[in-house]
Parts: sequence; C-alpha cells; structure tokens
Amino acid sequence: MAQKNKDPEKPEQIDRGRRNFLKTAGMAPLAAGVAGAAVAEAQSGATVVGPGNVPIQLTVNGKRVNLNVEPRMTLLNALRNKADLTGNKRGCDRGVCGACTMIIDGRTAYSCSTLAIEVQGKQVRTVDGLANGATLHPVQQAFCDRDALMCGFCTPGFVMATVALIEKHPNPTPAQVKAGLDGNICRCGTFTRIMEAATNVKGVARG
Amino acid sequence: MANAQQPGAPPPAPPGPTANAKKYAWPEKPAVLSTRVKRLDGPDKVSGRAKYSFDINRPGMIFGKIVRSPHPHARITAVDLSEARRAPGVKAALVWKEPGTTPTSEVRYQGEPVAAVAAETEEQAMDAARLVKVTYDVLEHVASEQQAMASDAPVVFQGGNTRKGAAQETGDLDAGFKAAAHIVEQTYATHVITHVCMESHGCVCEWDGDKLTTWVSTQGVHGTKDGFAQGLKIPGANVRVITQYMGGGFGSKFGPDAQGLICAQLAKQAGLPVKLFLDRKEEHLDTGNRPSAFAKIRAGVSADGKLTAFDGQSWGTGGAGATSNFPLPYIYQFPNRRRVHTDVYINAGQQRAMRAPGHPQGCFLTEILMDELADRVRMDPVEFRIKNLPAAAPNAAWGDYFTQGAKAFGWEKRHATGDPTPGPIKNGFGVSAHQWGGGGRGGRAHCDITSDGSVVMKVGTQDLGTGTRTIVAMLTAETLGLPVNAVKPEIGDTMYPVCGASGGSTTAASISPAIRIAAGRALDQVFAKAAPQLGVSADMLAAGDGRIFVKGNTSKGMTWKDACKLIGTEPISIDAEWEDGLSSTGTSGVQFTEVDVDIETGIVKVKRILTVQDCGLIVDRLTAESQIYGGIVGSLNFALFEDRILDRVTGQMVNPNMESYLLAGMSDIPKIDIMLVDTPLQRSRGVIGIGEPPTVSTASSIANAVRNATGATVRSLPLHPHRILAAIEEQKAGGTK
Repeated sequence: MAQKNKDPEKPEQIDRGRRNFLKTAGMAPLAAGVAGAAVAEAQSGATVVGPGNVPIQLTVNGKRVNLNVEPRMTLLNALRNKADLTGNKRGCDRGVCGACTMIIDGRTAYSCSTLAIEVQGKQVRTVDGLANGATLHPVQQAFCDRDALMCGFCTPGFVMATVALIEKHPNPTPAQVKAGLDGNICRCGTFTRIMEAATNVKGVARG
Repeated sequence: MANAQQPGAPPPAPPGPTANAKKYAWPEKPAVLSTRVKRLDGPDKVSGRAKYSFDINRPGMIFGKIVRSPHPHARITAVDLSEARRAPGVKAALVWKEPGTTPTSEVRYQGEPVAAVAAETEEQAMDAARLVKVTYDVLEHVASEQQAMASDAPVVFQGGNTRKGAAQETGDLDAGFKAAAHIVEQTYATHVITHVCMESHGCVCEWDGDKLTTWVSTQGVHGTKDGFAQGLKIPGANVRVITQYMGGGFGSKFGPDAQGLICAQLAKQAGLPVKLFLDRKEEHLDTGNRPSAFAKIRAGVSADGKLTAFDGQSWGTGGAGATSNFPLPYIYQFPNRRRVHTDVYINAGQQRAMRAPGHPQGCFLTEILMDELADRVRMDPVEFRIKNLPAAAPNAAWGDYFTQGAKAFGWEKRHATGDPTPGPIKNGFGVSAHQWGGGGRGGRAHCDITSDGSVVMKVGTQDLGTGTRTIVAMLTAETLGLPVNAVKPEIGDTMYPVCGASGGSTTAASISPAIRIAAGRALDQVFAKAAPQLGVSADMLAAGDGRIFVKGNTSKGMTWKDACKLIGTEPISIDAEWEDGLSSTGTSGVQFTEVDVDIETGIVKVKRILTVQDCGLIVDRLTAESQIYGGIVGSLNFALFEDRILDRVTGQMVNPNMESYLLAGMSDIPKIDIMLVDTPLQRSRGVIGIGEPPTVSTASSIANAVRNATGATVRSLPLHPHRILAAIEEQKAGGTK
C-alpha cells in the first residue's frame, strides 16, 4: 500500500529512477519501438551505445568506479555484481520495495529501476559508504539503538531513505517520516521501531 | 486437531528436569537475561557490511537462471537446450524435468522448474533462459477450490482432486444442539498468501573437487546440508552450508529446494561458482504459501452463554498435492463437537509452513463465529470468551490476559455491534485469543574459553532476524558473569554443532539449555583452576561482573582475565546439548484492536492494537518485543492487504510482484502496545519462543473490530474495501441470520 512519493512537499519528486524508466518506456511506442527510438536519437545527434559492454565511469560514495557494463544493466546490478558493493539489496526488482534505495544527487532513487549508464556524472551514495569506519552514521546508530531492524535485508534501503529525509528535515514529524519512508517495505514488520529511530536521530550531518 | 500444534511438531517434553538442568538452573536475579540488549549484528546490518547469502561474490562466479513452466498443468514432451548453450556467456545448461509420457514429466503448477542455464552475467542468463525450447502438451487444470471440487471437474491429481480426512468427534452432537438456545450456521474462509521474504530463495554453490560449499538463504543449515547430500547423492561430510545472514524465511526456507540442487549441478557442470537466487515472480509461484481455509460451521450456544455444540466441515487448498489442515475449533471449549477436513488440490505452487502454520486460519474461523454467538446471547465478547475457555494453566492464561488487556485497552468504551454515531466513519473494537506450542529440543552447543579470557560459543543454528546471534552471546555472558560483548557467538555454519531448523518458534528453547549447560560446565573448569589460588574449593566460587569470587565474599576473588590465565595452553572446550528442565512449551496471548471503517469507501484504518503475550523466560526483551511488532504487522497484512490471486480461467497468478501483491507500509501501521508477561511463574517455565504466537490473532481481532464498527460481518479474508462494502450491503438487505 506504499505511496511512492517520497516528499509530500514536492509532489514532482517521485523517485527519479522509476519516473525516468516510465518516461523512456512511454516514449518508445511513439518512436515505433526501441530500434526506432535509437534511430531517432541517432538522427538527433545523440550517441548510440551498446548493446554490448560499454565503459562507464561512476562516482559512488565519493570514489570513481570504472565499469564495463551493458547499457541495460541496472545501477543496482552494476554495483552489486561488478563492483562488489553489496550493501543495497534487491527485493522486487521493479521499483516497489525500496531495498535498493540509493541517493543520487541528493534524492532517493530505486537503483533497481535506474540504469547504470544514466547516472554517469552524478553523485551516487549507497549504504556501503555511509559509516565512517567503525563510526556509524547517526541514522544507522538510531536504527541500532531502537532495534529498527530484524532480518535486516530491507534495512539498507530504509537507512538511505531516512538519511535523505533527515537531510531535508533534521527533526521530522511522524507525518514526514511516513511520507519519506512509504516507498519502502519491511516484511519482518519493524515499522514501529523505524518510526522511533527516524524521529530520534541525533547529531545529523546536514548533506 | 482442536487446540493442537501444527502437524509434525515435537511431542511435549516429559516432565522433570535433569541433573544438569538443576545444577545450571536459570538465575533468580539475572544480570543479562530479560534485559534489553541491542542486537549484536545491528551495526553490520545497517552498514551493508553484513554479507547475506545473496551478497556472496566468489572469484569467477557466474549466474544461474531457471526456466519454468508457464502452464498450470502440462506434460513436457521435449526440451532443447542447444540454442541456449550457444548464447553469449553461457557456461552450463541442464534439463531438470525430463520430457516423456509418464506423470514424472508433468508440471502441475505455473512456475514449476523445467530447465536451467548459467552464464557470465545475470542478464546473459536471462537471455539464455528464453532460448531454451520447451515443448508442452497442455493438460486440463483446476485453479480454485470450487473448480477442483465441482462434480464435473477434470481429475487432475492421482487419486482425485480432494482427500477427505476422518471425522474427529467428541461428546454427543445431537444433545449439544438440543441444549442450544441459539444456533449460528455460516461459512467462513481465509485466503492464500505467500511468504514474500525480502531476500529471495537461493544460494551460491562452489565445488572444490567433490566437496561442495554453499551459501544458502535457509532457516536450517544442517537440514539443508542433508538435503544437498541426498539430492546430489554425495556424502554429507562433503557438504558445508553457510548462512551468516538471511533475509527472512517465515517457514519457507528449510532445504535446498530445486533451485539449490540446480545451482549445485550448474556449478559442477561449469566448473565455476554459481549464484542462483529467484526473482520475485518465482518467489510467489514456487516457494510456498499459506493454504486457504474454509469451514461450513453449525454452532450452538445456551441461553446463559455456554457453548454447546460445534459441527464443522472444513476444506482448503495447499496447492498441487499438499495438505491444508488447521486447528478447528480454536481454543474455546465446545463440549460436543465434530469436524471433518478435506484437502483440495489445485494446480498452484505447494504450501509451506508459514509463521504459525494453521493457527491464523483456525483462529479467524473460530473468532468471527465467537462474536456472532456472543451477539445471539447479548453478551460482551470478552465476557463470553472468558466463560468458554479451557481450564487455566501456565500455557493457557487467556482469562487473566483478557481481563488485564481489556482494562488497559479501555474495552469498557466498546459499543454494541454497529457504531450508532452518524457519518461515514465508524469506529469499532475487536478481540481475539491465540496459542502456540513453541518449545524445542535437541540443540547442541560448544564453548571454548582460552587463556587470554576470550569466550567463543559455537551453535549450528541460524539467525532469521529473530536475534538468535544476540541471545547466544547473552545466554553465555549470563552464565559466565561477563558483559555480552565479551562473548563471540558463532552460528550459521554446518562446521558448528548440529541444531534443528528454526521453525515453530523452537530455536530459543532448543539452543538455550545447551548453551547454558556448555557455559556452566566450562565455568566449572575455570573455577577448578582458580580455586587453589583462592584457597577454597571450586564449589565455593561464583562468577559475576567479570570476576571469579568466593560466594558471599565478593572481594575475595580475581578478574576473569586473571582466572583464565590459569587455563594454560590447552583451552577449555565443552560440548553440551539440550536437556529437559530449562525450557518449556506452550504460550498464550490475546489481542485487542480498534479500527475506523469508512462505510462509503470500505477502507479500514487500524488505529491501535494491544497485545498481552507470554513466552516463559524472556531472553532479550528488546528483540522479543520486535518479534511481537513483526507478528502483528504480518497478520495485519494477512487481514487487509495481501492476497494471491489466480486467474480462474488460465490458472496464472495475476499479481506475482510487489506492486499488485500488497503489503503494508509506514502509513498503514497502527499504534501497537505490548504487554509482555514477565511473572515469576512465567520465568520459572524457562525459555519457550515468541516468533509465531503474536501473528495469530491480529487478523481476527481486526475483523471483529470491523464487524463491531459496521454491524456487518465479513466472514472471509482479506478485508479488502469491496468485500467490506458487499457485507454492508448484505447487512442492509436483511443480513444472513
């Protein structure tokens, strides 16, 4: 029953990965199929890449990551399977459950529905880069303190969504927490304590 | 089956503690147990450092993908792998379901595995899987209980589509109905839901010669090891199963399954490690579900509110050839009763145990009936339930819990059935009771203490997210008088002592006694080393606050570190196993729910839930509460959102995803109040287990609250808006009395 709009104040900020995906998918029929779209792009001067591996350079957690990936590869799969950044998880692979939530240029995105090639030149943040060595990010610490996790598989996504929320609203109201985290699903049912954690984050670094 | 544990559960433990259980009895004033200890692996889980089986990346690893039947029932006549084998990146391909003309070549549900491939990338594996050519001879199928039971139904299962069990009868049914002043005759039902583990089923398999190491997402490392050995026809000693972290199981992850054996075979064929994890659609179709439950019930109640008779014909489907039984009637005492259950087989994936198997169904069917009966005799639902409970016992304390819970909840503010206030939003209260066996036996543990004072407790169990790793450390620390972080718990690996699978809420109760005895006996050896130094006999010593000291004279002693220096080069190394007397079985609990129902839209908003729940000796209060929160949310999902929907014509699941298969999010969560029973009596029972009981009652108490709000009875789940509206319309048209 999750609402996917992660910021109630900015209704246009629907998760960008999913929206871009939908936009692309919606355009394809207009250009008479995918091949037609490629031709149209070529005619407009855009570079056509793929379908084989192409070199890409990403900026992930402040570090450059050079990868060779097929253009169809999702950001999530590229980082998990090609860069061994396995912190963020894959739950539904369709931009619903939120276990793959990353922060791209300051906004949350479902990385399972974002292509790796489309985030070149952008700042990608994953759960792997959040802690400073053994020192947890305040959001991570709050999750541990409140036992806001059980199996923990959805937790990286919830943590990232909470970080994005806290960077906008350092002291979020329950309504803001609901709006900010409604794009994530926890099957173990830890929501009560995620709410406690998100409303009790101490010492937030403003991003 | 009335009031019974799920089929296959361990028998009740024989009475009487063993000598070890007496010697190492739980402390009367624990330092660590029953406190709130933060989960030890929390930092690893929140930081992404925790390596789930899905996260294991091995050198040279490739990816497997299964080809599955799109048909609910078909015979496979040919499988052609040749084109798939030539596809880019493909390293292995195999046929899982051999084509032919016998029943072994039949697929009996959509999503049944047929073949598999492995390729260098996941994307290539998916491409190659599409190139496997399977020729099907499509057969007739049945996609619902109704279709399977119809007199003209095609017989799609050997021996028939249904299997009727023997009648269970107690007392004199005719006399019971004669004694009834009121009789309710209705049909009640619950639906099929799937487990939706966030981490899908799967594993990484790596061979070294004839030895297999596999990282599996499983609820039972040792059982899964046996499953691999049998399935691959190799010695158990050649298999090692590792599950350091796993992303939910809920009863669906007890063995290698087809995907595990396929993964191992692909890895063998490719000569490379293979990762094979299912996608979300495969999860819905082929990794288990909670069976449906239906019952046509006739029940009687006397004028003074005593239950007199229960006659129930029940049925349900566990899918293609699997059972669907559940306890009925649930908890309440019908002195005269008869019940017959029929398993109905349909062409859908087989059921598996799902969090408190059978109980949510039996609870719902009985508890809705109970409110209908209470109304007939114009009694308050709580009072009516208390009047019809079995005799009170430590594992049957509903009477007390109803009373305590009702007071804390403000039950006296409940109005009679049907909120009389004007306007579209109707408010209502509901109540329900539940039980679960829990308990457990057979766990083993190994304790190592070395001369540097370090303590390792090795237990071949696994942590499903329940906090098992944390309680292993807590139980050890309590026994040795150390802080929790002084103990290193080692779990999730078949290199550690054999323990049972984590199912039936048995993990805590089966491992806790073994850990307590292993640590206790190891401590005895530390005492033996320290005693001469302190000039007393070993039995005069005690441990606490990181010290070994003389009982009654805490200043006479030494630090744990100094005591351990006396151990020498040969570490203390103790094996122990579960013994009777430190654990128990049987829990009881009740839940109260308040809802708002919009009678114009049919939307139910759960406002608050209060539960009273016991679990014997609480190990970690923090994670025990988390289990209760989780159980309640799971049952709220069962009541309001999730529903496996099969197309009645094609037999295809129409919502095999997470956007149409609905689950609660943050905005759907009510206020939840937990009253965890912590009394000397409960503590004296030892460890029992808490994973399942809290997920039994919630759906029933929500449904009864909806009934109290609207005055309309929804007798089947889920409580989706259109069903609420239909029930309200039916009620307006004169009801079904």
